[in-house]
Amino acid sequence: MDSRFWSAFGNWQTIVLDLALLLGTCLFLKLPKEKKGDSAYWLPFLILSYIAIYQNFGAYTNYNYEFKKAVNAYLGNTENPKFNLWLFNIAERQILAILYLLLIKSWLGPSMKKYVDWMIMIFVAVALTLQISGIELMYTEQPIIFAIGANMILVACGLYFIGLITNENYLQSQPTRLLSFWGTTVLLFYFSLTYIYAVTLLYLYRENLTLGKSLANIKYVMQVIKLCMLLLLIAAPFLTKFFDREPLHDPA
Amino acid sequence: MIPPDNQIYIIIFSTIFLGGLMSTFVVAMVFIHRQRQAQSRQKMDQMQVEFEKTLRHVENEIHQETLTQIGRDLHDNIGQLLSLTKLNLNSSKPEKHLEARECVNEAIKEVRALSKTLNLDWVESLSLDEYIAQQLQRIQATGFCETSLQSDRSFAELKKEEKLVLIRVVQECLNNAIKHAQPDRIAIRISKNGRARHIEIEDNGQGFDTSKQSNGSGMYNLSKRMETIGGKFSLSSAVGKGTLVNLELPFSV
Repeated sequence: MDSRFWSAFGNWQTIVLDLALLLGTCLFLKLPKEKKGDSAYWLPFLILSYIAIYQNFGAYTNYNYEFKKAVNAYLGNTENPKFNLWLFNIAERQILAILYLLLIKSWLGPSMKKYVDWMIMIFVAVALTLQISGIELMYTEQPIIFAIGANMILVACGLYFIGLITNENYLQSQPTRLLSFWGTTVLLFYFSLTYIYAVTLLYLYRENLTLGKSLANIKYVMQVIKLCMLLLLIAAPFLTKFFDREPLHDPA
Repeated sequence: MIPPDNQIYIIIFSTIFLGGLMSTFVVAMVFIHRQRQAQSRQKMDQMQVEFEKTLRHVENEIHQETLTQIGRDLHDNIGQLLSLTKLNLNSSKPEKHLEARECVNEAIKEVRALSKTLNLDWVESLSLDEYIAQQLQRIQATGFCETSLQSDRSFAELKKEEKLVLIRVVQECLNNAIKHAQPDRIAIRISKNGRARHIEIEDNGQGFDTSKQSNGSGMYNLSKRMETIGGKFSLSSAVGKGTLVNLELPFSV
């Protein structure tokens, strides 16, 4: 193993993520058969696996510079061949945002699910339009697409909280004993705390690298908390002592 | 253009502000949830009290209705049978004595059947369909009007309180039709769709103008009663075109 490999794959974020994927896989495999087919468990597992795969792929692009350069060239980016923003944009800012919306949707009441469906459709349409029209290229910073995705996730979180205080099923339960409550809270904090950082990313790295790195650390910490949350969601059937069953959970 | 230093402060301030805002939001939501939960529990308790009260009323009314029916049966059936027995016994012919014995046996059967209706145990042993069929048969037997019943047995499974309320509401609807509508025909249809079961009570009587305010509280009470078991009451009628009552009860989850 050369030093390039370790610098690409050996950072603490990637190691934590790989360990989380390993633990998540073990927990998911331990679930009873009928729970494995239940979206309340496979969706968090899918998100966890997806994050691990694209982050490792990101690390691989840093390891295999020629590959990264070729993809950048294919997308028309010959100016900054070292960047792998295209992967970050597609994988995190677009697909992951949709997956989070689907996760929040699974915790909403039937009357609110349709709003999330609309948000996903609008998000996909706007993201495609912005990229095809060249307003936000795939290989450059995409603050507008991120802002729309993050805002939609924040709105979806808001819908969850509205359901929490209006839906009879939620009113019967104790929110602090619901994983959906903690999940939504983590997503709410993640997207609001990293919001400023995400839209000012390049500016901060140009103007004040120290502050940029500090804000990046907030993001990394929040990411670890988010991974823990996903693991808890997968492990929910083993934690019945601490968490209650989701009141709106539909096993179908 | 804002100087870079100020922009940095704005970024730091915005991040802290957003974090604080979100924390306040989540704490406020938990606080509101607690308040609403307390209100919801209070409402549920009130609804339970209301439900029990309605159920007691319904039971009383069914008792009253049953007693009225017993009175009628005592007068029309058993009274007649006993009079016939007396007449037969007064006769010197032996075949008349045999007839008298048959009449007494018949009267004993009738009394036994009546005694069973004195408490509400019959509600458990009788299905709603059977009850409705009995009621319609009784109406038809009086010669008041023709009756018909179509049922897909959607109400075969009911909780006792649901059955009690439905029996009372059906009773009241039939009473209303007999008292006010003077129909030639009363038809009851029992059916279901995806989420709910329906009882439709239709008569071809006088009907009435539903837009006119009624002095009585009969319809309101029926509607309220259906609500206590999670159901709905709806009525459509027009002068000279009869009345259609629809009782809807969702399937229990």
